Amino acid sequence: MECQPIIEVKDLYVNFYTYAGIVKAIDGVSFKICRGETYCLVGETGCGKSVTARSLTRLVPPPGRIEKGVILYYPEPGGKPINIMELSEEELRKIRGSEISYVFQDPNTSLDPLYTIGYQIAETMHAHGTVASIKEGIRKAVHILKMVLMPDPETRVKNYPHELSGGMKQRAVIGTSLSNNPKLLIADEPTTALDATVQDQIMDLLRKLRRDRNLTILLITHNMGLVAEMCDRVAVMYAGRIVEEADVYELFNNPLHPYTKALLRAVPNPLKRVEKLESIPGTVPNLIYPPPGCRFHPRCPMVMEICREKRPPEINVKPGHRVACWLYAEKRGE
Amino acid sequence: MANLRRFIIRRLITFIPTLIGVTFIVFIIAAVIPANPARVWAGGQKASPQVIKKLEEEYHLKGNLLERYYWLIYKLFTNQIVSPRTHHYVWEDLAYRFPVTLQLTIIAFIYILLLGIPLGIVAALKRDSWIDTTIRILALIGVSTPVFWLAYLLIFLFFTQLHWITLAGTPVPPYSITGVPLIDALLKLDFKTLGQILSRYSLPGFILGFMGIGVTARIVRNSFLDAMSADFVEYAKARGLKKLRIYRHVLRNALVPVVTVLGLMFGGLLGGAPITERIFGLPGIGNYMLQSIYQYDYLALTGAVFFIALIYLTANLVVDILYAFIDPRVRY
Repeated sequence: MECQPIIEVKDLYVNFYTYAGIVKAIDGVSFKICRGETYCLVGETGCGKSVTARSLTRLVPPPGRIEKGVILYYPEPGGKPINIMELSEEELRKIRGSEISYVFQDPNTSLDPLYTIGYQIAETMHAHGTVASIKEGIRKAVHILKMVLMPDPETRVKNYPHELSGGMKQRAVIGTSLSNNPKLLIADEPTTALDATVQDQIMDLLRKLRRDRNLTILLITHNMGLVAEMCDRVAVMYAGRIVEEADVYELFNNPLHPYTKALLRAVPNPLKRVEKLESIPGTVPNLIYPPPGCRFHPRCPMVMEICREKRPPEINVKPGHRVACWLYAEKRGE
Repeated sequence: MANLRRFIIRRLITFIPTLIGVTFIVFIIAAVIPANPARVWAGGQKASPQVIKKLEEEYHLKGNLLERYYWLIYKLFTNQIVSPRTHHYVWEDLAYRFPVTLQLTIIAFIYILLLGIPLGIVAALKRDSWIDTTIRILALIGVSTPVFWLAYLLIFLFFTQLHWITLAGTPVPPYSITGVPLIDALLKLDFKTLGQILSRYSLPGFILGFMGIGVTARIVRNSFLDAMSADFVEYAKARGLKKLRIYRHVLRNALVPVVTVLGLMFGGLLGGAPITERIFGLPGIGNYMLQSIYQYDYLALTGAVFFIALIYLTANLVVDILYAFIDPRVRY
């Protein structure tokens, strides 16, 4: 299948200006999401997945700042792209929630506790002119709750967030985010705060919505099981960089980067039998003083001299499979 | 609403032990003081023994403490206690002085609302800037300035130097609707009386509210910052809501804790302000209590304490009821 990009990120840098120093949270990230696919960003806590996702609509909270990079959004297939970096606040606002929507990690805190579910769905639609008034929005909210398979939507629409269970809240959040028919849904660990059984239901819902509404999803997770289940293509992030990107089957069958390999050995692999789960030695680096060269080199079992000095190039090993590692540069004689 | 009624009745029942406790403590303190109040009431050193004896009998100054407490509370409830100092029934004294305290409270509260809340909001919006720092320092000064010092300083400025305010009398219009001159004058649109009331009360009101302004500014700032950094605000941005609407979410969430503090503050101010009222010579509840203490009039004092405790408890109850209207998570 040919890739029709919906969003394209080129050479993104994001820094956080904290009292302790400048945290180089995102360091030259490039990727592209194709229309209709589910693209996954995986990596451990603090590797920059969420910041990358928020950067897509410049939603990085202060003291974070996007230093440079190009973010291209293609509203129509094959159409002219919009550079998100050049938009005004008001133009961005119009894109957020109507073209590109978010679902965040914790549904318990995503909704305002003082307003009903219906009201919050209605104001989201009202903000983008989907409905003429809040009242009309509340009427339409019932259909939206039906769409996200909320039990008893007529009652739920009048409920306050605290009257709903965690799973129902996340359904309400997903409904709110989809209320303006967005083209891209960014789901930032949408099930991490939920019970395991509810996680499955939410993932089933996302799959169904994606099929029914031809949605493109950017899924952020640290759960490799979820990656195998949901994703078409996967990017593995480590310390603010994408270290490997591949088709989901390719990644699980033929991981190349030592970090990806270690990561897959650390979790039960859904495709292969793993004898013993291993942890990755060492800890995530401090990104105020990131290690020079390859950021993974202090923990890498295959570390070479060059890894300590120079940033590894991105190497396309196969079509659609790229890896940022010196091991593969050498093999190809570069 | 049936729940609300049950809640109110339940809360009213809890008033009883609180009121008994507060009045009992005041009574005990007064009763164990090694002085003979009857002698003071009868005129001090030269008082005749017969009068003292009669007063002791009249006011049950001797005997079992519990019995005397019971007698006092019973008589207060049936309004049979005549203050040996003012020679009026205690409740009449309190009713007569309450409008003064109420007006002082209203004016102090207006200052708190008009200055404390905006200062807190500005400080939160301009967080960590010089504006925020200035407001925080002002708030700290407000909380830590001694009332009497500031009062005399401002009297010197506005009374002695500028002649903007008056320091004598309590303006009372010739008509009476609610019994509170400030409200009556407003209802009748009587600007002359209103002006008199303001020139008499605005400075003491400011002094009384000064600490409250600082406290309110700090609480508003912090609860605003909390609300602004809440996850739902980030989600509201991600939903593409307009700025004004996001502020509405922030404001409503930030006000929940502020309402509690303001409500309790209002109840506290209504209990009289002994120092402010004394400095400005306002015949309010606070001044009444001070005078009662000077004259060993513990009967009037216990009555006043009972009254204040009742007001404070009621304010507390009103805050709790209001809470449910602001925050849907609160149910009775």
